[in-house]
Amino acid sequence: MSAAAEPPLTRGGEAARGVPTPGRWGGNALGFLGIFVFLVALAQATLVVQARPQDLVTGIHGMADIITRASPPDFSKLPDLLWPALETVDIGLFGTVAGVLLALPLAILAARNTAPARSLYVLARAVIAFCRAVPDLVWALLFVTAVGLGPFPGALAISVHSIGMLGRLFAEVIEDMDTGPVEALTTTGAGRLQVFSHAVVPTVLPSLLGIALYRLDENIRSSLILGFVGAGGLGFELLTAMNLFQYKTVSMTLLVTFVLVMAAERLSAELRRRVA
Amino acid sequence: MPIWPAGALIQTEALGMRYGGANGRLALDGASLALAPGELLVILGHNGCGKSTLLKCVAGLLKPTAGRVMVAGRDITGLTGRALSEARMAMGMVFQQARLIGRRSVLANVLCGTLGRHRSFATAIGLLPRGETGHAMHCLDQVGLAGFAAQRAGTLSGGQAQRVSIARALAQRPTALLADEPVASLDPEAAEEVMRLLRRVSTTERLGVICVLHQPELARRYADRIVGMRQGKVMFDAQPAAIADATISALYEGIMP
Repeated sequence: MSAAAEPPLTRGGEAARGVPTPGRWGGNALGFLGIFVFLVALAQATLVVQARPQDLVTGIHGMADIITRASPPDFSKLPDLLWPALETVDIGLFGTVAGVLLALPLAILAARNTAPARSLYVLARAVIAFCRAVPDLVWALLFVTAVGLGPFPGALAISVHSIGMLGRLFAEVIEDMDTGPVEALTTTGAGRLQVFSHAVVPTVLPSLLGIALYRLDENIRSSLILGFVGAGGLGFELLTAMNLFQYKTVSMTLLVTFVLVMAAERLSAELRRRVA
Repeated sequence: MPIWPAGALIQTEALGMRYGGANGRLALDGASLALAPGELLVILGHNGCGKSTLLKCVAGLLKPTAGRVMVAGRDITGLTGRALSEARMAMGMVFQQARLIGRRSVLANVLCGTLGRHRSFATAIGLLPRGETGHAMHCLDQVGLAGFAAQRAGTLSGGQAQRVSIARALAQRPTALLADEPVASLDPEAAEEVMRLLRRVSTTERLGVICVLHQPELARRYADRIVGMRQGKVMFDAQPAAIADATISALYEGIMP
């Protein structure tokens, strides 16, 4: 009997100690409201995207048609795809390295604990936010109009977008870093630069490397898409083949893309595991 | 007003520290003390009594709002920039946490203590002054951890890490060590080890040691002199044998933790 009486007692005790326990009905009402709001949001989304699942069913033979026309992939096109594949990787690599080099100094200005002045902090944060807010596709369009078609505008677009993505994460790492070694070295009489290179750098380097390697993986994937707006690489090949209805070349390009993306992902994950 | 011994290593004269402007909290209120070479001085007191503030003023990490700090007869209170860095080199600091760089080797961490003496382009871009390796190894030997030189500092136990941080402070070739609650986060055995070590380097190297502690019992056994602080004031300053237990417990009376 006493065991059965226990739970309500405990609950009463909690309430007495000021633990906020919503009443049985209060909690449920809130839950129902949440579910209702979610369902309304889902309903309007379905209407807005004009979702018609029946079209998928009636159009299934169209898809089957494309798949038969695309298979088997045209392996004779493989040698022609190697150069664009290298271009894609290199756009990602160049963009990441340039992004890291530009994001680092900006991040030092954009971290509250290392910013030399409030005005520079605000400015650096604004630059980083702007680079991030404009999608890399838009940056690529801008750079294509500036420097013409080819891989270079793609590399530039990725660099600038990376500044936005890396700058914020780098600044967060610097803000969250353990300041113990920094203070310890300052008290030994070491100079500012010495403290930076011997305490700050070794403390934050593993995190920064990890973030940069993750970015490399992301950048190789986005450099594929940038080809669609004329920024070279596999994306451009894919677009050309589709426009010419060469579906076997399309499937071959997709195959190469798949291998590339998987390889980049594995490599990045492996390197990140090592620096951690 | 006591008369300071002529050979005093460190002395503070009527040190005052008020945080946050004219109406701020008075953390130090006319605190005077002196430290001789080879002497181990322990400061006792409740949390917020000003003992850490006093230590930070002596180390040149805080600028006192009144009084002055003399190190080897030189007033360091008004120093800034390079002159301040050089004055700091004379004082090795040990904190509650070891504050080592976990990814670097034990030896590299100790070598970092010598950076102040080696200001060059090479050390500014992250190279270590390798010419000091012999001295750094000697310092590691003094704390009994020479065998750990090549190990990553992050793999050490709390007590070992604290001893390496003492070796780093010794590598600085200081004339005094300032230890701010160096055993507060260690188990009793490691705490004894660290106190024994401080006692030993104080005697053998003729180092002046100021050590902020929370354990009156450790203070009694290791200190040459105990300074009791309460509300920013020095309440007593005497040899352990001359201090009654009641005098020490009076430091903590009526203080809400």
